[in-house]
Parts: sequence; structure tokens; C-alpha cells
Amino acid sequence: MNNCESCSANPPAESKARGWVRRAGPALGALAVAAVAASSAGCATLGAKPWDHDLLAEHAMQVDPYPLETRVDAHIYFSKEASSGGRSFAGGGCGCN
Amino acid sequence: MRVQLKKSDPAGVRRALAAAAAGLLAGGPVRAQSPQSDPPSTTVDSALLVYHEVNRVQAIEPEVNVSHKIDDDRTFSFGLAADSLTGATPFGAVPSTLPQTYVRPYKVIPLGTPVTVTSASGGSTVVLIPPATGAKTRTLGASWVVPPGTYPLEHGFYDRRLAGNLGWEQALTQWLKLDGGVAYSKEHDYRSESAHVGLARDFNGHNTTLSAGVNYESDLSFPIGGTPTPLTEMSAQWKGPNTSLHETDAVLGLTQVMNRRWLSTLSYSFSELHGYQTDPYKVISVVDPVTGQPTQQLYENRPDSRRKQSIFFDNKIHVATDVIAASLRGYEDDWGVKSVTADLRYRWQPDPDYYVEPHLRYYRQGAANFFHNYLVSGAALPEYASADSRLAEFHAQTYGVKVGMPFDETYEVYMRVEYYDQHGNGSPAGAIGQLQQQNLFPDLKAYTLLLGFTYAF
Repeated sequence: MNNCESCSANPPAESKARGWVRRAGPALGALAVAAVAASSAGCATLGAKPWDHDLLAEHAMQVDPYPLETRVDAHIYFSKEASSGGRSFAGGGCGCN
Repeated sequence: MRVQLKKSDPAGVRRALAAAAAGLLAGGPVRAQSPQSDPPSTTVDSALLVYHEVNRVQAIEPEVNVSHKIDDDRTFSFGLAADSLTGATPFGAVPSTLPQTYVRPYKVIPLGTPVTVTSASGGSTVVLIPPATGAKTRTLGASWVVPPGTYPLEHGFYDRRLAGNLGWEQALTQWLKLDGGVAYSKEHDYRSESAHVGLARDFNGHNTTLSAGVNYESDLSFPIGGTPTPLTEMSAQWKGPNTSLHETDAVLGLTQVMNRRWLSTLSYSFSELHGYQTDPYKVISVVDPVTGQPTQQLYENRPDSRRKQSIFFDNKIHVATDVIAASLRGYEDDWGVKSVTADLRYRWQPDPDYYVEPHLRYYRQGAANFFHNYLVSGAALPEYASADSRLAEFHAQTYGVKVGMPFDETYEVYMRVEYYDQHGNGSPAGAIGQLQQQNLFPDLKAYTLLLGFTYAF
């Protein structure tokens, strides 16, 4: 996209942070694959019996127990960082980024 | 699915039933196995955010969401949010050892109207722009001076936003749930409309939930002063017409009960954006190749398409009476931005009537491939260029603590205080001339206070 490195004194070099992000990529992928494998292979071993859902029924154990708080945080980070989405849709619904 | 409890004490039963009801009302594209019970029919969830950036933006944002369970199969919800922002914000220019004067469009008035205003918001001075021949209107500009050695900010920044959303959830079968909704947001210079639909299917005795959701967003940008032509010089002249942006998002989720104490979620999200994604208020400095002094301020330019994807892995683990929430997110887009986010919360609940939840978040991103701190005079202009620090390489930490008090099973109040600290490279290698003395990425430090109140009846 940027074919004009010479026009800038500070070309986007392969910095430490970027290398760190790059190194973390395979780890994240492996984590995801492991989670999927565990989930898909686990019908026999994963899960809880219906009578064992007492703790899972607690408010704090829900996927998103405080959706308003999640929404506020997503709005803040959407306006301060280049990344969005993941837990939910990436669209910010505002002109703040 | 029916909640079946091991404990037999009535208070525990009430608490668990309330929790189950709250869980059913909690939204999001990925559904946990949601226990059904005999919940309160309406929940009002409200919060007030006070946001304070050191020397920059201040914001207040009240939010409310009302969710009404019509029957066991149907839930209707609506929400409202407003925010008000004022203060100072970076606009892309580099600092200098000399005073710098900037000018931006302020207002358009009919030709012949007497101009009595001499100052605009943020301490800037109103300047008169000579009208073009035959024009029936004239433009007023706002001019301000940045002192030597000071990171340039635009102090007249303000914004107001009003947003609303409607949602609907419908259980189609015991195993299948449909949800949908619309959202609308309006600012003085931006409008956003969106609609989403999602489907969640339970398997394996409600221990596994597979979900999919799609969101479409259509935005309209009508900046104050019009839309500038990319890579043209910053000026007070009124500029081009409104612009639009269209975004399609999709999320696939898998939620798995790992065991009695562990709930795990894995999501993949994908977004495609087409349209105007340049920040119309941001510039990039062009500097002298020897002295490093800014010679021009050009409006930035970003690609009109963007493709984003991310993987999100979240875990809730019950430990004694406490809950650990730990998540990881990996993100990348075709602008070259890559990031990782790690989030950890520990909900320490020594007593059923209150909890304390410390929170740590770590975020690191690489720069967009068209990010430059500045351009150099005399070289060919790149097709795309932005000095927006949000597209730079940086890392950020959030430290927070939340204290909550659930009263009975009907309401909860909570307060959360957080500190956000963003660090970038303020002294990039190869900085030219006077720029070696400047901090090109001042730290961003922000405090947030969130007060929440939830009432179920």
C-alpha cells in the first residue's frame, strides 16, 4: 500500500512491538485450535450434568454478565485504539474513530 | 433447560434463580447455555460514565437499557445512550521549536452579515476568509497558536451523541434462539444506523452453544467545515460534501461448558468496510528535510476499504465463591494493524452482599502501514498517509477495581474506577532536525468512573 518509504523519515520498521505481535500470532492460533479441538472432542468428557449447573447459573458466570459495562468499554477502546470487535461486532456505531 | 441446584438453602436458591434470570437478559452475539427459571419480567440496567483524559478530552455518558421478558420464549429490549465530550485532542501535527499558527473552518454566514464574534471555542480567534467572487456566503475560520515545544492539540473539540437501540430475542425451539435488533446514533457531524440478526443453537444437553450473527452498519459523515480533499493543505475554507461508510460484520461463536466451574467461549469475527474512513479533522505535517520544521499541514488520507478479523477466547472460572474472567484477543486488518489484548478480572466475593473485582488489561498494537509521524518536504507524496496516533504502534494498560453490592435478587449497585495508560514511541529513530528534541507521542492517561445500577422487577 505504501510504496513511498523514502518520503518519510520514519518508515514503519519491523519494531519490537510488531515482532512481539507477530510472535504471539501462532500462539493465539494454537490456543484457538486447542480450544476448538477440546470443545468438539469433548461431548463425552466436557460439560456438566443438569444438576451440576448451580455455579454456572450465577450472574458472574454468564458470558456477558454486565452488557452495559461491556458496551461502555467497547466505546472507549474503539475511540482510542485501532482494533475493535472480538467479543461482539466490530462496528463502533459512532464517528469516534 | 431447568436450573437444578445442589444447595438447598432458600437464600441460595433465590440468588441462583436471580442469577439465571440476569443471565438470560444479558445480551451479546454468543449465548451461554442459559438456564431458564421463573425470572423477573423486567430489568432496568443503567450506568453513568465519567471519563477524564489528563489535559485532553472530558466526557460524561449516561446509558440505560431496559429488557422485558414477555414470556419464556420472547424478550424485548431497548436502550438509550448519550454522551458529551469537550476538551483538547491531537490532530496529527508535529510540535516545533517555533510558535505554530493553525486555522480551521468555523462557520458559514450569509454575505453581508455583520461579524461580531471574535473568539471561538477553545480560545481560538475568529478570522474572516475573503469570499470568492459571486459567492453569497462567506466562511469564518478559527485560528489558534501552539507555543514552541508544545504538542499541538485542537482545544475547541466538542461532541454530543445520542444513541438508541431496539432488540428482540425469540426462542424458536428448546434448542434454537433467534435474536435481532437495530441501532441508531447521531452526533453533530456523524450519523450511524445498523441492524443485526443472530442465531444460537444449543447442543449436548445445553452444554454447547454454536452461534452466528451478522451486523450491517451504514454511516454518514458531515464534518464541520466539510470533507477535505485528501493531502491538500489545511485551511479555513469550507470543503467537500458528506461522505458515507458501509460496514458488514459477522461473528461466529462457540460456547462450551467445560465442567461445573468453567465456561469457555471462542469467537471469530470478520468485518468488511467500504467508504470514507479518513478522519476529516486530522492532518499530517510536512517538514523541512534539514531543520525538521513543519512547512505544511496536509489533510490525511486513508484507504476506502478495510478488512478486519479477530479471534476472541474468553473463560469464566468459578473458584470457591469467586469468579475469574480471563480473555485473549488477537486482531489483524489489511491496513497492517495487528494487536493482542489480554484481559483479567478477579471477582472476589467474600460475602453474598458485596464483591470486589480488580481488573487488568494489556493491549499492544503495531502501526498501520500508512502511518507516519510526518512527511518530508520535497519527496513524492504517498497515496495514503496518516499521523493519527491511534494508528501508531503503542501499548496500553488498564488498571481498575470494581465494587458491587447485589441487594437481594432484585437490584445491584456498583462503582468502577479505572486508569488507562497508553505509551508510544515519542522519539522515533531518524527524526529530522528539531524533531529530535520533541516528544512525537505523548502518553495518553485517562481515568474513568463508572456508576451502575440494575433493578429487576
